[in-house]
Amino acid sequence: MSNKRLGVVVDGAFNSGLTVRLDPGVTTEQLRIGSFVVVEGQRNRYFSLISDIHLKATDPRLLSDPPRATSPFIARTLSGTSTYATVEVRPMLMLEKPDESDPRALLEMRRGPQPVKTIPMHFAELREATELDFATVFGKEGGVYFAMGTPLTMDIPICLNLAHFVERSDGIFGQSGTGKSFLARLVICGVIKSKVAVNLIFDMHDEYAFDKQTEDGRWVKGLRQIFGPQVLIYSLDEELARRSGRNADVTLKIGLNQIEEADVILLSEELNLRQTAEATIGLLRDHFRGQWLLKLLQMTQEELEEWCKNSGAHAGAASSLQRNLKRLQRQEYIVEEAPFAALDDMIESLDRGKHVILQFGRHNSVLDYLLVSNLVTRRVRQRYEEKTRRYEESKDPKDKPRPLMITIEEAHKFLNPAVARQTTFGIIAREMRKYNVTLLVIDQRPSSIDPEVMSQLGTRITGKLTEERDIDAVLTGVSNRNALRGALESLDTRQEVLIMGHAVPMPISLRTRQYDEAFYQAMGAPEAFQGPEIGIRDLFGED
Amino acid sequence: MRIGEIVETTSTGFVAESFTLNRPPPLGSLVAVSLPAQDMEIYAVVAYGQTVGLDPGRRAVRRSTEIVFDEAIYHEHPELKHILRTEFGAVLVGYLAEGQVWQHLPPQPPPLHFSVQTVQTGELQRFTDHLLYFRLLLSYNGPVSPLQVLAANVREVYRQRGSDRAWLDAAAREIATLLKNDHEALLTVLYAIDPGEASAIAERRGQL
Repeated sequence: MSNKRLGVVVDGAFNSGLTVRLDPGVTTEQLRIGSFVVVEGQRNRYFSLISDIHLKATDPRLLSDPPRATSPFIARTLSGTSTYATVEVRPMLMLEKPDESDPRALLEMRRGPQPVKTIPMHFAELREATELDFATVFGKEGGVYFAMGTPLTMDIPICLNLAHFVERSDGIFGQSGTGKSFLARLVICGVIKSKVAVNLIFDMHDEYAFDKQTEDGRWVKGLRQIFGPQVLIYSLDEELARRSGRNADVTLKIGLNQIEEADVILLSEELNLRQTAEATIGLLRDHFRGQWLLKLLQMTQEELEEWCKNSGAHAGAASSLQRNLKRLQRQEYIVEEAPFAALDDMIESLDRGKHVILQFGRHNSVLDYLLVSNLVTRRVRQRYEEKTRRYEESKDPKDKPRPLMITIEEAHKFLNPAVARQTTFGIIAREMRKYNVTLLVIDQRPSSIDPEVMSQLGTRITGKLTEERDIDAVLTGVSNRNALRGALESLDTRQEVLIMGHAVPMPISLRTRQYDEAFYQAMGAPEAFQGPEIGIRDLFGED
Repeated sequence: MRIGEIVETTSTGFVAESFTLNRPPPLGSLVAVSLPAQDMEIYAVVAYGQTVGLDPGRRAVRRSTEIVFDEAIYHEHPELKHILRTEFGAVLVGYLAEGQVWQHLPPQPPPLHFSVQTVQTGELQRFTDHLLYFRLLLSYNGPVSPLQVLAANVREVYRQRGSDRAWLDAAAREIATLLKNDHEALLTVLYAIDPGEASAIAERRGQL
């Protein structure tokens, strides 16, 4: 890889970035907005992004009267001399160059790249980034460094620091068709492989567990096929759970006793609840405690009227609430009473390092998804809080809860400003980092997510977005927004993403890696792994 | 090869009388003055040429008749060789001293009555590998516009270097840099040194 020189720094300011005049012979077309370049200062090496490209002419008369019918010789001479291009370059990180005369300095210098604190002087050289530069900044593949793809112009793996990735909640965005669920699968594979966290995936559209046909007709493997018994499959749909070759390990039932007030309030829109519902439910809870929903649904018209008289609830409101909530009872996976044991077993599996995919099967309406995800997550959250407290008391490393990453799709339904304060997901996004639970939020409309939640996201992986508000939302709380906006707008619809935030030292546009046979091998998939049959030990542990 | 003798000299250039009447060295060609005592070779670019009578106050008169014209006039009037003289002016562009080429003005003007010589191809290549002397050419003030002298020099060197296209491109870019603030002047030179379509086509064929 040659150190290809692109130009020299001719102007700049710390606040607005550097202006680089391109050398004659370097065309603007070989550069891309958002690509990674290096400025060689005297003492530091500056890892930078191209944020803008300008065309210029030394003599303004040339612009008003461009040469007509020019010979190729003259055109070639003028380009790069009288007419030239400058690029705006944003230094993002800098690395001190070792003083080669001093061997001690050479040893000390193993500190990684630092945030930029200054800019280079005039005529510092701008060059293409080399493999070594990428490795210096993004780390070498292996361990917690997971290769996400290659830079747009080069064939070098770019790594995500997964340990950092699971430390905070993260987001995957992109308009529909940009391969969000594919990206999520890629990242989750990395997390499983590197064992930095366990995953709980709410799989609304049955995309993660088993193989699935892509838009271009290929079949790609699911997580279960790659990782075998490390991945457990829970299903809400009994029929789906029994399909041969793709059967689930556990069919989950939800009991009316498990549904809480907050779950119902979250479903206000889906269930057509009136504003009075909250007050009525409050009264019901006061009266029947945990049994309130079951009791309400069991009451006859007369009993309900009687109860209203005694408790002071509005009869009309109560009966309409009862009518609306009957819809819950009609869902196949809802039973009158279910023990928490099934959910707790699931949490124990997570604790043993298993990864759980919860499939919704035919029950993939928004109602099902909101209700079950919220309910399950609430339980998970309670258990994790307990575990964390126990760990804080005992300080025994054995008690330390495993970091958990919960993947949710259509995230704006849980995290829109109207409900984000109430849903468990909103709470996790804002504060659960301390309990070792983080979210992987997947959405195509980041603008509908509560800005407070957006600003808490550690790492953002985003495919192409065109809607102005969505771009603004994704760039909330990110520095150098203008440079990144250009990079984001110039992404291709397929396979190209911009990654920024906690898990990468600086934002970078990538072509995502192929999800193919070579990838399965790299993830350690057993080639002939066919049967998803799982032993009792995988489900319930050694005992 | 000796081609003339210096008859007027200054720090920036000299005027020499050509040994052959009516045939001064080509405009823009590189010539040299050798100073063996200082182990120095001074280079200059021919900036103009003229043929005049020995007596500066008298203009030449018509000599042709119905049957004697052009070359025949000189056979008819052999005395013309003694009353006419051809001069050329050259602008200093650098020198060779201590084995190194310098592209700035020499410390002293070349001595009067010293010989002016042509430059061998190898020497020419060595000198024109650097293009800093274009600046001296552009600052020259004489009967021919410096832009035309520069263009003539580029054409001449290009020819003598055996149609060295890479050199021509480098020279053109250097000129574009020097004339960056005067687009019209730049185009004047570029049009004058453009090797033309034929060469472009030949080059394309070469690439295929």
